[in-house]
Amino acid sequence: SELITSTQTVDSQTWRNPSDHLTLGLVESTAGTSLTTEEFKQTTKENMPVTVVKYEVFLRDVSGSSMEKNITLDHATRIELSCRLDKKYSHLKSLQVTWKRGNETIGHISKTENSWSIQLNIVDNSNLGSYSCTLKDKEEISATFHLQVPNIEGKEKPIISYEGDTAVLICKSSSYTPIAWTWYVTNGSEQIAINDTLLPDKYVINRVSANVTHLKILKVTKEDNGVYWCEAAFELGKSMGKLQLKILSLMVPLKPFLAIVVEVVALVTVIFLYEIYSKKKEKCAKNEREFDQIEQLKTEASNGLENSTARQRK
Amino acid sequence: PAPGNDGRAPSPPPDGGWGWVVVLGAFVSIGFAYAFPKGLAIFFKEIQDFFGTSYSEIAWVSSIMLATTYGAGPISSILVNRYGSRPVVMFGGLLCGIGMVSAAFCTTILQLYICVGFITGFGLALNLQPSVIIIGKYFLKKRPIANGLAMAGSPVMLCTLAPLNQFLFDNFGWRGSFLILGGILLHCCVAGALFRPIGAATASVKPQVTGKGKDALQEKAMEVSSPTSVQMKNEMEEEGERDCCEKINQYLDFSLFKHRGFLIYLIGNVLMFLGFFAPIVFLAPYAKHIGIDEYSAAFLLSILAIVDMIARPATGIIANSKWVRPRIQYFFSFAIAFNGTCHLLCPLASGYTGLVVYSTFYGLAFGMVCAMLFETLMDLVGAARFTSAVGLVTIAECCTILLGPPIGGTLIDTFGDYKYMFIKCGAVMVLAGTFLFIMNYYNYRLLAKEEKERKSKEGDPNSVRTENESKKDWNRETAQNGPELEPLREKQDALKKEVNGT
Repeated sequence: SELITSTQTVDSQTWRNPSDHLTLGLVESTAGTSLTTEEFKQTTKENMPVTVVKYEVFLRDVSGSSMEKNITLDHATRIELSCRLDKKYSHLKSLQVTWKRGNETIGHISKTENSWSIQLNIVDNSNLGSYSCTLKDKEEISATFHLQVPNIEGKEKPIISYEGDTAVLICKSSSYTPIAWTWYVTNGSEQIAINDTLLPDKYVINRVSANVTHLKILKVTKEDNGVYWCEAAFELGKSMGKLQLKILSLMVPLKPFLAIVVEVVALVTVIFLYEIYSKKKEKCAKNEREFDQIEQLKTEASNGLENSTARQRK
Repeated sequence: PAPGNDGRAPSPPPDGGWGWVVVLGAFVSIGFAYAFPKGLAIFFKEIQDFFGTSYSEIAWVSSIMLATTYGAGPISSILVNRYGSRPVVMFGGLLCGIGMVSAAFCTTILQLYICVGFITGFGLALNLQPSVIIIGKYFLKKRPIANGLAMAGSPVMLCTLAPLNQFLFDNFGWRGSFLILGGILLHCCVAGALFRPIGAATASVKPQVTGKGKDALQEKAMEVSSPTSVQMKNEMEEEGERDCCEKINQYLDFSLFKHRGFLIYLIGNVLMFLGFFAPIVFLAPYAKHIGIDEYSAAFLLSILAIVDMIARPATGIIANSKWVRPRIQYFFSFAIAFNGTCHLLCPLASGYTGLVVYSTFYGLAFGMVCAMLFETLMDLVGAARFTSAVGLVTIAECCTILLGPPIGGTLIDTFGDYKYMFIKCGAVMVLAGTFLFIMNYYNYRLLAKEEKERKSKEGDPNSVRTENESKKDWNRETAQNGPELEPLREKQDALKKEVNGT
């Protein structure tokens, strides 16, 4: 049968300046939806069409630094890793290109005009790791591909729960569907798997959807404090996410609450007292003024009387 | 001895002094009322995970809270008419505190709806209306500034609550945070304590009595008060039986629906609120949709809040200037139309810089509209009837406020594009602004005509009649100002009788 190569270029990375690097980060996340070229069918020995996914790094400047690329794989595939050199270097004849995985050199480098690539069959966990291509002339330029299982994110900040309450720990896998989920609790330095059938009153593990798992811990106590792990099993390996559970007693928020209540009561009392005080002051001031007026009138009246008596006497 | 100031028009509100302390209290109160529901959004994700519900079920908490805050407006107005601002605000603060504290112990989402949605929402309603009302009682000449400053409480509180809520959540989880937030909401009681009762005619009640000691008068007043109060009660009963509509209107002035200015304001505002809040709700999702990262998207909202914070008092100052104050309704319509134009131009904004410019202008426009929202209503109906007006307006706005974001959301879902939502909001607001502009122009002309007619009817021999008219107006106003004047009115009437007796 004819061997026709099929390449689906998932993404291509160009080394320019940091801002470009950022926009390409975007391209990476929308992998599969952009830049595809030809698609052929390659038949293997088993007569099954296999699509080869190609990852390419475009090396532009010989700066001596190394480029890194993370590739996430969740199931067995055949991939092609390629390093492409800028056309301006195509005149270099004495270019040595090596593909390595750790210390192990990989043969079977297929070369095209400006790119050197290797094809890998990723079948199980042992095939994952870091693969690097090194182009050596007078200076050295290299790029590394990190093949990994999907990363499961736990929660950086601890999850707070209260004694006697229910705690819900959630793990999500972003775009890849795991085969199975397992939860572990850390006891000292050991990781102990949580069996919800053994302790159904305490733990409830619920696979809410394909990519999401919930661990519900009922009637939480201080002993449940600690680090929990959710493990997602993929075809190519396992990945763990870390979550921290922190158990507080109700006294902890109650103290600030009571402090605030005391403060509010104090403020209200002060405001009312000030109001009563200022009203009294106003009243006193008014009474004083009225009193002065009365006094004035009295003296005027008495003066008048005096004058009249004086006049009478006169 | 000279009689009291019965014949003259009521003296104006203080316009300063303790009034600025009241503005501070209103700042806190209004700030909590507007910012608290928005600030709660930080907890929603965790509560959703905890109860295992969908996002829309959690969003109902916010909607119920908002609906109760606006829908309970008339109840708030009735209570203020009956008891005055201070007790209502303090009770509202207490209710908010109780609501949040009980929410901390909720075990189902339904309990959360009740505790956070209804109870706290109702408490906030009892905070919002009275705060706005008491500003109208303390200020007249500087009222736009006072309003602008008090309304600035909303963005300031939002900027404070957002990081505070995040901090509380990181340290205490959502239950502990609700408990502590309940305590924080009790500060509304403190704000309420600052709302010293005042009547628009407090100063004029002190009769100018010369040659008599005030103490002597007081003693005589107390002697006379029992028969007089009985007499007054009979008087009041007679009045009550005479017109039951008037009695209802004492609690909630439905006669406002015949008031031209009020109707214009109502229709214009109800229309405006259809497009008012939706852009804020969808700004961050829109930013993320066009590829901006989460933190920069959140920063857009911060820019909006900061510009809003500055715009509100600034608008208050501008609105108070002698050029704008007489034509404040035009300024308000302009602000609404400006707001709408911003939204219409938003789809043209490309990239982050464009959105930053949009956020700045939106913050400015939003602040301008909010600062004048209640000032224009006060301007149209007057401080006396404002109590009932604000209640009726908020319950009418309640529907459109709740409808706005969901309609926007439906537009986004149907067309898959945010620009139709912006166009809808912009169009609605430009329409509302134009409507208000035209109708207020018409209203101003009619008011000027009525004023001219009234002046031409009055001549020299009618000085007595005007005195009686103004006394009638004043009595009506005092009747509507409610219990804040009750003790003063009784005293004043007793003194009047005493003075007339001599």
